[in-house]
Amino acid sequence: MTAPWRLVLLAAALIVLVPSVWHVAAALPPFGHPSAQYGPAINAILPAARHVTNMVAAVNFDVRGFDTLGEECMLVCAVTGAVVLLRGARGERDEARAGHVPGRAVLARSDATVLVCRITATLTLLFGVYMALHGTVTPGGGFQGGVVAASSFMLLYLGEGYRAWRRIIRGRAMDALEGGGAFLFAVAAAVPLVIGRPALTNVLPFGQLKDLFSGGLMVVVNFCIFLSVTGSFGLLLLEFMEETRSPAEDSVPDEADR
Amino acid sequence: MSALIVAALALAALTGLLIVLTRDPKRQIFALAANGLALGALFFVLQAPDVALSEIAVNTAVTPLLFVAAMAAVAINEMRR
Repeated sequence: MTAPWRLVLLAAALIVLVPSVWHVAAALPPFGHPSAQYGPAINAILPAARHVTNMVAAVNFDVRGFDTLGEECMLVCAVTGAVVLLRGARGERDEARAGHVPGRAVLARSDATVLVCRITATLTLLFGVYMALHGTVTPGGGFQGGVVAASSFMLLYLGEGYRAWRRIIRGRAMDALEGGGAFLFAVAAAVPLVIGRPALTNVLPFGQLKDLFSGGLMVVVNFCIFLSVTGSFGLLLLEFMEETRSPAEDSVPDEADR
Repeated sequence: MSALIVAALALAALTGLLIVLTRDPKRQIFALAANGLALGALFFVLQAPDVALSEIAVNTAVTPLLFVAAMAAVAINEMRR
């Protein structure tokens, strides 16, 4: 398609779309004044009913906890699929040698980089754990804490280099974190079934409002998600990094190479 | 709608546009990271700090790194042939 015809098509689309979009947009409720009743209702009911102050966590882990179990399974399936795809083309063998694009200079890491990365990686990991632990009290939670903790692995890579990074971040440990977190979540969901209540019923004592361990079963579920998300993202980083490592002699060739 | 929200919205739109206008994939990755940061600021201004945190961690830290790793893998594979 040539440029003038594209412009004609754009003009035709604009003539149709602009009035209709404007019509819909003008009928929307004003910015910052949502008309939905769900948020105010949650805010009114849950602090007293569940003794938590982070309503997002309360909705995710309690009110619609079963949905979160499904999302957790989706995450595990997606990461497992990515790992199977990448390892399938590469083989199980891992070699602790960094790959490097030929022709690009490899500069030595400065001491300042190493120091800053070690400090910030530690702080980032601590912040992730902190955020996950306080999931029911302050904004954040298992997913956010897990992603932040996994990003500390990247800082480790930046500071330590590929070989040392592979020694610290073990694939098996990431597998165990990912699968173990999801498994514990499923167990936590199933425990109420044993005593004859619906799945994910909050059977644990709720604790005190604004206390670190408030929210009963939510604390457990939150931490399971933290473990699983940390493992999932750590595993993804590991597998993508593995794609750049120097190939071993007997690695499985790509389909196109055969 | 306060000036802060308008500024954050404009910044998010601008960085989003810049991703599209950037044609070099390597630069695009960093444009994507900047857009994640701008979106994180927008979510924070809109009083959703937890969403802002996941946005920044996923879109500014993890996704660009995966793209960088993927591009490095492609470059290494190209050279080997």
